Amino acid sequence: MDASKASKKRKAVTRDVEEEAGVFSGDELNGDLNGALSDNANDLSSDEEDSEVELVDDFSDDDEDEDEEALDSDEIPSDGELPVKKSGKNATDLEMPTNDDSSSEEEEVNFRIEPDANGNDRYIYDEINPDDNSDYSDVEESGNTIGNIPLSFYDQYPHIGYDINGKKIMRPAKGEALDALLDSIEIPKGFTGLTDPSTGKPLELSQDELELLRKVQMNEIPEEGYNPYEPLMEWFSNKQEIMPLSAAPEPKRRFVPSKHEAKRVMKIVKAIREGRILPYKPPSEEKEESLDLVNYDLWADEVERPDHIMHVPAPKLPPPGYEESYHPPPEYIPDKKERKTWEEADPEDREREYLPTDFGSLRKVPGYGEFVKEKFERCLDLYLAPRVRRSKLNIDPESLLPKLPSPEELKPFPSVCATVFRGHKGRVRSLAVDPSGVWLATGGDDGTVRVWELLTGRQLWSVKVGDEEPVNVVRWRPGKDAVVLAAAAGDDIFLIVPPVLDPELEQASLELLDAGWGFAASKPAPKISEDGKKTTPPPQWVRPSPALADSGVCAVIPLRYVPKSISWHRRGDYFVTVCSGASTPASLAIAIHTLSKHLTQYPFSRRIKGGGPPQTAHFHPSKPILFVANQRTVRAYDLSRQLLVKIIQPGARWISSFDIHPTSSTASGGDNIIVGSYDRRLLWHDLELSQRPYKTLRYHRKAIRAVRFHPSGRYPLFADASDDGSLQIFHGSVTGDMLSNASIVPLKVLKGHKITGELGVLDIDWHPREAWCVSAGADGTCRLWM
Amino acid sequence: MNGAQDSASVAASSQSAQRQVRVQLVSKQEDIALPENTGPILVPTGLRRYALSTLVNNLLSNEKPIPFEFLINGAFLRTSIDEYLTANGISAETTLEIEYIRALIPPLHIASFEHDDWVGSVDVLSATSPAASWASAAISQGQERILSGSYDGLLRVWNMSSQIVATSPSPADGGHTASIKAAKFVSPTSIVSAGLDRTVRLWKYAESEDGFSGKISPQIDLYGHKSGVNSLAVHAPSNRILSASSDHTVGFWSTKKSDAPAAPENLVPSAASRSSKRRKVTSSVSTPQRGPLALLSSHTAPVSAAIFDAKDSTVGYSTSWDHSLRTWDLVTAALVDTRTTSHSLLSLEHLPEHHLLATGTSARHITLIDPRTSATTISTMTLRGHTNAVVSLSRDPHSSYGLISGSHDGTCRIWDIRSTKTDKDGVVGESVYSITRRSLEEQGKVDVKRVGGEGVKVFGVCWDRSVGIVSAGEDKRIQINRGEGVLSSA
Repeated sequence: MDASKASKKRKAVTRDVEEEAGVFSGDELNGDLNGALSDNANDLSSDEEDSEVELVDDFSDDDEDEDEEALDSDEIPSDGELPVKKSGKNATDLEMPTNDDSSSEEEEVNFRIEPDANGNDRYIYDEINPDDNSDYSDVEESGNTIGNIPLSFYDQYPHIGYDINGKKIMRPAKGEALDALLDSIEIPKGFTGLTDPSTGKPLELSQDELELLRKVQMNEIPEEGYNPYEPLMEWFSNKQEIMPLSAAPEPKRRFVPSKHEAKRVMKIVKAIREGRILPYKPPSEEKEESLDLVNYDLWADEVERPDHIMHVPAPKLPPPGYEESYHPPPEYIPDKKERKTWEEADPEDREREYLPTDFGSLRKVPGYGEFVKEKFERCLDLYLAPRVRRSKLNIDPESLLPKLPSPEELKPFPSVCATVFRGHKGRVRSLAVDPSGVWLATGGDDGTVRVWELLTGRQLWSVKVGDEEPVNVVRWRPGKDAVVLAAAAGDDIFLIVPPVLDPELEQASLELLDAGWGFAASKPAPKISEDGKKTTPPPQWVRPSPALADSGVCAVIPLRYVPKSISWHRRGDYFVTVCSGASTPASLAIAIHTLSKHLTQYPFSRRIKGGGPPQTAHFHPSKPILFVANQRTVRAYDLSRQLLVKIIQPGARWISSFDIHPTSSTASGGDNIIVGSYDRRLLWHDLELSQRPYKTLRYHRKAIRAVRFHPSGRYPLFADASDDGSLQIFHGSVTGDMLSNASIVPLKVLKGHKITGELGVLDIDWHPREAWCVSAGADGTCRLWM
Repeated sequence: MNGAQDSASVAASSQSAQRQVRVQLVSKQEDIALPENTGPILVPTGLRRYALSTLVNNLLSNEKPIPFEFLINGAFLRTSIDEYLTANGISAETTLEIEYIRALIPPLHIASFEHDDWVGSVDVLSATSPAASWASAAISQGQERILSGSYDGLLRVWNMSSQIVATSPSPADGGHTASIKAAKFVSPTSIVSAGLDRTVRLWKYAESEDGFSGKISPQIDLYGHKSGVNSLAVHAPSNRILSASSDHTVGFWSTKKSDAPAAPENLVPSAASRSSKRRKVTSSVSTPQRGPLALLSSHTAPVSAAIFDAKDSTVGYSTSWDHSLRTWDLVTAALVDTRTTSHSLLSLEHLPEHHLLATGTSARHITLIDPRTSATTISTMTLRGHTNAVVSLSRDPHSSYGLISGSHDGTCRIWDIRSTKTDKDGVVGESVYSITRRSLEEQGKVDVKRVGGEGVKVFGVCWDRSVGIVSAGEDKRIQINRGEGVLSSA
């Protein structure tokens, strides 16, 4: 009975515990076990359909067994043993659910209120359904009947009250006693109270299994010896391995932008667009207005003005360097010696007004004591510094120079003096190479015309045509059928057949000159006087004096004024002379002479407007056009239509000479003219291009006396002669292409003539075929350059 | 051999630290060839021409040392052997074959014959001159004659003691009426000359027994050119003359009266012509007048020079200011070949052993043209050094490689076509020696720079084996230069 009582007491005491065990551990445990078992069962007998039923049966059997055992055997308390043992540990945790249970019981109403016949409330209680399995009836029966008295009244008694049958209820065993009792009961090791369904024997768990269960229960890692905190081995790190573990290419996600982030960004963007997010909050104007300050905006009506012409922006300060850092690199930190020298130096002598100091971190940087002083000095510098605007071109000077071919590539051109022609006394004023290229004719201040062998410089022939007057100009007649030299000395023009020719050619030349005799006489001269004007009759060609005739002169044209320029027409029948003297009447300045008719005409009746007296004139190489230059312009006259075709304005003050490109209007499209002027300029005109010069070449120190294209057109050369004693050779190629301009390359400066009486080189001519040129100097020599 | 080794060791002792190289000394001239058994000699690479020359003289055991020049691979050794090896990238371990030849003795000035006017042309009659050899006339040493054609229109024959043996007649007596630009001996008794008076004149030259006086009498006047004649070439065995004229033609003439056709009427100065009237040239002697066998007209500019092929007298070459060198077949008077250069050509000489034509240009150099090669290769070699137009050329009588040129810059330059280097423009030669005009030295103006050779232009040069280098020029002289030692031994 003691045992039964004890068991009952124990039951009563442990009732809560038992409930609690059911809620917390028991059910869980069972469930888990059941789950595990059922899983097992499923695994073991998946084909047995009734396994679950069996299990359920088992379970119910289990319960029954338990009940029986609780009633019958001492083994029952072991059921609650585990929870009891634990109860001390989890006491605080256990109370809460019990309280909850009790409160829920109180709230639950076990009656219904129904109106009775009188209309009063009538409490109808639920019929109590006594449960067969209920233990509580017994408990009620064995309840203490001592009533509402403190239990301490029974302290000196071994019992604590009486039950309903009047039997003493013995004081329950104390802990020690209980423990002693429990210790006295021998529980087989690993007793679970469960039956192994496969064997039917009580299930005993080994220590390991128990430990496993405990770990599962405690949410620990069930496996033995597993260390969850092993040191991390970074297999894939940012470190570049020599032998990578994986040769897999970088996954795409590494460089595919996150969609999530994009979504978020788009959300923000959308919000900004819709105006839900504002970049900044506009300052509330109300706040300012609310203040009673009156603000005058001085610059309210200020408009943007360009900088003053003398405005010079302040120079920018250089950006700070490393040494100005609060934490400069160690190499910038001065060592002791440097620090000492800096400290000892006068503040003005110091290279910089601070010492680089390492503060370690920004918050340790003190306030800058020199700030105000420095700003003041900067302002002072800006205010006092005399700043000058320096116009600096940020262009590579090389790139401004045109790309010229090197002179080496443009060979041949004359480069050295090959022959010096000595013999003239006084200046050589003019010279010309004959069309065959063998002879050179010169005329000079001594009044002689001389013919030289070009290559050797041997004088072959000479005639003195001017007594006092110098020979101003000598020009060969173009064409190889006859050799006629026209020379102007004084007022006269002499047509000479030098006796250096073979008899046949000489005869032809003489016949050419003799053919015109008497032609002018037969021509009705008075026709001009019919106009009523007092025009001077054109000069009559005369035969030379016997002395001159002996030496080769065939005809003389007395012009009455001093001709300074002779230019032959290409065909050799006409030549134009210009008397450029200021006293020459305008109508007589330019004369065209016809060789075959011994006729002299004055094509211009009036003065050429603007630019002073005419200087020189040339026929166009292929068209019936006469170019006449006065001091400032070159005019082109169409002789057949009696029209002024073109006026060229080189912009020179005083034109000395000009020449027309030999291929003008034939192979190439346009006419090209070079003009030399006394104001040191050599001007290239492309007549198709403009009235103004295409190129102005200003290389001479003194006046340019003569310019000349190479006559053959084989060599694209031209040359000028200047009073500074030098000749300059240029390459000037004209292309047939209308789109491309002439390319002009200075090639060579030929020096050698001595400057005599402020005059250097007076005339120049080219060899008709070779790239040789000859020059006439004021020093009395002529030179052949090849 | 002992002496050789001694000298080699002496030379080597100073440069014992230097490398040594095996050289095989050879010579093509038999009189100076080393004995057969002379094997390669080990010499220090620091040796230069002089040391090598001493070595060879020692090997030959010459009592009187002969200066030698050394050729390695056909080019003159101008540096030390070491520098040569370095420059040409030749290993010092190879055996160098060095050919040695007699060095050119600097031609010394022997004499100058003064004239009244510029001397345009010069020729030599000596035992070895072509005129004498064709005629197989024996001209003893010391009896050489020098012919000069002067710008005053007179031919002069000089003996070696600067005396005029004979002078051609004045224009009134059938002489040239203008400057003579070319004059040549056809044979010891015949002279041809031409000049600006457009006629080629054949003269009979006769000397008195003592050789101190002679007579030049007109033989034939050859008319045909319409402009001055610039140069003449003579081939006596076939009695043919070539003339180059400024009228763009090459004249081909016969020296025989019977061969030559009649002179063209219009070119013969007649009494009706103005010039004859004016000049009052009425020749007191009537000379037979003849015309050309052919006028080769293909040039487009004055012809500067015309020569016969040195081996084949039926082939002629001519150069012109039109930049071209033309080859003619004289039998048919047909143009065979044209080579166009880039400069005016002013003189011409044939180097038959090398099949080269040397032509002097207005661009101050001499171009060597191989007429056999295809027309694409114009120039095989360029000889540079003159400072003015090269107007006269003559072969070296001693060596087939030698050449002398007379230029308007007042110098004659001796060239050896082995003394070359390869330049960006091709093979370029340098002159071996330059002869200046004696007249400059006499005036003490050697150092004065003459612009364009003014006053000292050389118009003609002739190199004869026995007389030496005879050159004529603007300084109104004939100048004779000779390298004494070489000529005596040769």
